[in-house]
This record gives sequence, structure tokens and C-alpha cells, in this order.
Amino acid sequence: MAITLFFVLAGMFVLVIKFAGLKESATLLEEENAMLLVTKLANSPEFSCGEAFGSNRINCVDFDKVMMLKENIDKYSKFWGVASIEIRKVFPKSQEICTAINYKDCGVIEVFSKDVNSLPPSSNFVSLCRKESEDGKIYDKCELAKLIVGSEDKR
Amino acid sequence: MKHKKAQEEIVGFALIMIIVAVILLIFLGFYLSGSQRDTVESYEVESFIQSILQYTTDCEDHLEYIPIQKLIADCVDDETCLDGRRACDALNSTLKNILKESWKIEGDRPLKGYEFTIFAEGEEMLIIKEGNSTNNYKGSDQFLAKKIEVFFTAYY
Repeated sequence: MAITLFFVLAGMFVLVIKFAGLKESATLLEEENAMLLVTKLANSPEFSCGEAFGSNRINCVDFDKVMMLKENIDKYSKFWGVASIEIRKVFPKSQEICTAINYKDCGVIEVFSKDVNSLPPSSNFVSLCRKESEDGKIYDKCELAKLIVGSEDKR
Repeated sequence: MKHKKAQEEIVGFALIMIIVAVILLIFLGFYLSGSQRDTVESYEVESFIQSILQYTTDCEDHLEYIPIQKLIADCVDDETCLDGRRACDALNSTLKNILKESWKIEGDRPLKGYEFTIFAEGEEMLIIKEGNSTNNYKGSDQFLAKKIEVFFTAYY
């Protein structure tokens, strides 16, 4: 009986030490997965600025490209494996949903949304850029936005 | 009889190990399912700095409306915008407005405060601070040309 108890206590002691950092690791992994998902989308060819706004832009989303993508989103609904993608302008802020008519002055681009159970969304700051013209001059106009991605809850 | 007693001991030992393992697994399940994301993530702060530097301001030079990264360099050189405003004044007001919209701290929000600092050649050039500093924070920095450093810290 004493030997049994000894082995049980020794085993519990080893397990406690081994799993001491497990929760922190799990949280870090979850954070990393969320970050990777949003970063992957922001830098994918369908969203990223590419060479159109200079070659060294990080976290740059092409506003014009996204609006065109929205028009053809049916072909992409299963491509990224997510439940929803939305881009919200942070500054200057606007609650107007973007359409082809108001797209420069709007604030919310609902790229797509599936009718499924989804996990809490992950988001990341991006630079939302487009080509603007004034007095015959064309220049790059970039605003601050958030790319919000909802993952499917497959549980 | 001795052998039978020894076998009973072994079976008892095995049973206890199994029960303890099951209890530990159940406990681990509850423990790990409680893991939550922080209010502010490190990657959010990093991407905020990268994105804000690309923001196109309303300060114009002879060529174009300039992004914040260039406006910072113009502020270091004490340049002015085409409309006569000092680059530093334009930078200060633009950053304040962006930070106010991006990191809301009013009311019962989890975010308690933030601090945005720009150093030029080791000297503090601009600091925008709102709310309270706490022991929980996430920060990031970016090094630019002309020995300019941009720091941002969010407190929660």
C-alpha cells in the first residue's frame, strides 16, 4: 500500500512539473495561429498591394482589388477555409458598407460571410491603399484599417 | 495466499494509477479550455506601427501627399507642408486622431492606456500618452532612417 502510494505521488509530481507551462504554450499557440491566419490573408495575392504601391509595403491591402474580389467572391468561398472576411476602416472611420458607388468614402467591406458557426474573430491592422487622383495627379492614398477573419467552428 | 495477496496489490496499484490518470486528464481539460487570448496581442501592436507609418496624411509636399513615415523625417528636419503648417504640427495632430480612433480607452474597456513615442538620434522628439500605465502591456518598435525610432505600447 505504501509503495503504491509512493508511486502515485511520484507520478503526480512528475506530471505537475511537466505540464507547468502547458497553458501558456497553448495560449501562445492560439495567438500564433490567429496571427498567421490574418497575416496569410493580408499578404495573399488576392488582397495584397504587390508592386502596385511600391515594393516594400508590409501589411498592405489593395482596396481596388478587394472590391473586385467581392464581385467574384463565389469562386473563392471555399478557398481560404474561413467563415468570414471583413475589412473595417479604423481611420478615417465610417460605418457605411462599401459598394461600387460609394467605395472611396465607405468604411466597411464585407468580403464574404458563410452561414456557419464561427469562432471569435481574429483581427490585425493593415494599410488599406488605393490610387487617388486630384487635379490630374495620381497618387497612392493609404488609410488605416483592420482585417477581421472569422474561423469556422468545426467542433 | 502470499501470491494471491501480491496479485491483489498489483491490481490495486494499477487501478489507482488509472483513476489518477483519468482525474488528471479531466483536470487538464478544464484547465486548458480556460486559456484565453490577451486583450492586446503582440502582433497587433507590431502591425499597427507598420500600418500607421504608411498612412497618407493631408500634408502635401511638392510631389504628393506624404505618408506618416516621411512626415516624421520632415518633422526631424523642421520642414513645412505646402499649406504652411509645420510638419511637426501636422504629425502631432494626425497621430493623435489616429491613436484616439484605433485604441479606445474610455469607459469599461479592457484597454487602459497607450503611449506612442518617437526618438530622433536618441532624443525624444514626440510623445503621445493617454490613459493609465499598468503592469500588463504589449509594445513594439520600428527603426527608420536618420536614426529615428518609433515605439508604441498598449496597456491593459
